[in-house]
Order: sequence, then C-alpha cells, then structure tokens
Amino acid sequence: MEAEVMKMLAVGLTAGLGLMGPALGIGLIGFSALQGIARNPEASGPIMTNMILVTAFCEAIGIYALIIAIILAMIV
Amino acid sequence: MPKRGYFGVSFYVVVGFLAVFFVLLVTGFVIGPLGRSLFGDLGLPAWLIVPRPVPELPAEVVFHLFGFPVTNSIIGAWLTMLFLVVFAYVITRRMKIVPGRLQSAFESLLGWLYHLCQRVAGEENGRRFFPVVATIFLFVAFNAWLSLIPGFGSIMVTTADGHHVHLLRGANTDINMPLALALISFVFVEYFGLQSLGFHYLGKFLNIGQFLRSIGQIVRGRVRDGMIGMFTGLIHIFVGCLEAMSEFIRIVSFTFRLFGNMTAGEILLLIAAFLVPWVFAIPFYGLELLVGFVQALIFGGLTLVFLTLAVVHHGEQGAGD
Repeated sequence: MEAEVMKMLAVGLTAGLGLMGPALGIGLIGFSALQGIARNPEASGPIMTNMILVTAFCEAIGIYALIIAIILAMIV
Repeated sequence: MPKRGYFGVSFYVVVGFLAVFFVLLVTGFVIGPLGRSLFGDLGLPAWLIVPRPVPELPAEVVFHLFGFPVTNSIIGAWLTMLFLVVFAYVITRRMKIVPGRLQSAFESLLGWLYHLCQRVAGEENGRRFFPVVATIFLFVAFNAWLSLIPGFGSIMVTTADGHHVHLLRGANTDINMPLALALISFVFVEYFGLQSLGFHYLGKFLNIGQFLRSIGQIVRGRVRDGMIGMFTGLIHIFVGCLEAMSEFIRIVSFTFRLFGNMTAGEILLLIAAFLVPWVFAIPFYGLELLVGFVQALIFGGLTLVFLTLAVVHHGEQGAGD
C-alpha cells in the first residue's frame, strides 16, 4: 500500500478508536449524575458542578487523540 | 410595558428576519463547496468564492522586535491584556457605593470567582489563592472569547518576507501559551506549598520516615514489626515517587487540554464557515462560547484544587487517601 493510503487509514483509525473511550466515559458520568439528581433533587447544583469538572477531565483524553489525528493529517 | 407580538417585536419584523435568514442560507449553500459540486461553476465574482481554509498549527511570525520573533498569537495575547486592563481601569475609575450597571457586572463576576475560591479552599486560603486563580480564569476566558469577535481572523498583513499572514490569532491556540500558564500554575502550587508547610512539604514526595523507622526497629531486635514496617515503608516511598511524577505530568495534561480544545474549536469553526458560509457556523459559535468558558473554569478550578491539596498537612492527607 502506498504511503498516502496508509496515512489516511491512520488518521481515520486514530480519531475513531481514540474517541470511543471518552464518549463511553462521558456517558457513564452523565448516567451517575442523573441517578444522583433523581435520588436527591436538592443537591442538583453541586452534582452538576462536579459533573462538568469530571467531564472536562474525560474530554481531555479524547482531545489528545484528536490532536494526534490532526497532526497526522496536516503535518506528516 | 405592554407585551408586544412575537418575541417582543411585531409580526413584520419576524417575517423580515426569517426572509433575510433564508436568503443567506440559500446563497451560502450555493456559493459554498456543496453548491459548487452540485451546480458546477456558475461564474461567481471573485469576492464570493470561498477559499479552502488552511489551518496552521505553529503560529506565524509577523515581525521581529530586537531580533525576537513576534507571532500573531503574541499580538492576540497583547490584545486580551489590553482589553482586561482598560476594562478594569474604566470600571474602577469612579466607583460608587451603589454601583451602576457596568460596575455591578464586574463586581458580580469577581464575587462569583471569590466565592468559588472560598468554597473550595476555605476562608483564608481562598483569599490567598484568589489572585492566581482569577488571573488564569480571566486570561484564558477572554483569550477564547475575543477570538470569536467577527473580523478577528480576517485582518491580513504582509510580513517583511512577503508572506500573507493573519495579524491576530487566539493566544490559546498556540501551544506555548497554555504551556506557560501550566508552568505558572505549577510554580505557584509549589510556592504556596512550601510557604505553608516549610520543608515538610517535600516530605510528601520523599516519604522515607516509615522505612527508616522500621530499620531502627529491626536493629533493636523487634524483627517482625520491623519487616512489616519495612514493607509499608517501601510502599510509602513508591507513592511518594508517584506523587512527584504526577506533579510534572500535570503540566503536560493542562497544556494539551487547553490547547486541544481551543485548536479543535478553531478548526471546527473554519470548516463550518467553509461548508455553508454565514449560516452553518452559528451553532458552532455558541459551542465555542461555552467551551471557552468551561475550559477557563477547568484550568482555574483545577489550579485551585491542586493549591488546596498542596497546603494540607501531610498526616491528614495520608490517612484519608
């Protein structure tokens, strides 16, 4: 296979596989946050704040994969 | 005040607005790349043809100042600093006890940040950490927001070498600025830790107390206790090394989180504005506003959390974790 084809494959696989994990993670965070709010609607303020915080952590991992895909696509 | 028709304006205004929106949508679709691939070349004038965006990762140099290359992201950072300083000066020039609208907006922003610091770090620590956290938050947030103003990326200049470069670029999209902020955060965490705890702060990383005590126990003849103590001591040393490493990994993680979010957002906006000009980028603008705010909150909030953890006495920390 030529180098160009391999590069396209690499970009697609990096972005696709790398973003599966964080997507699952953010879904789990939302699941537990909603459960917490359902049990105790008065605590929805602190629960939401912590949910946003942990979501940013999780999303950062996905951004790492996206950066590698962008670097592969545009610089290499 | 009597409530008027639809969204506070008359029916004709809404119809006019929708008509303009529809015209822009159709025109944008036709002149963009989707229209060009559907209808072929319609012979549009040159100012209506949308060029393919070229996102550049390293920032381009605009001019040289005493031999130091000044990139367009540095100019963007200067713009943000100028904006923040002028804004603060104008508001505090004639402060009143009963504030006007602008002053009370500024007060509510600062009050919210101050209460955040106090809620996470406690009363007096909150006051100590507030300058660092508020500076990082305001700088990152306004860097992100000012780069969304229409016309920010459109000013082009010609450098001395003859390249056509953008004059301004959001400072968060150049990897050096998030790296600088992460290093500042790291230095302040260590500084406040050393200031609060003295050299006992380093005991968090070099946790050899238990190990040495266990050797003393073995020498004095209590071998079984000594062996158990030695195992625990080894684990403490290992955890100390992990803590030291995580201080440095944090710099990398801060940098790439902010840089990745901002650069991905900028590329997303460029591609969205390229696909269907004028209309398709509107929801992504909203997303970028939100992302800029959330990333600033994350950067400042995480700095605050690590500062709080750094000034806590080691004994209380070890038992809980």
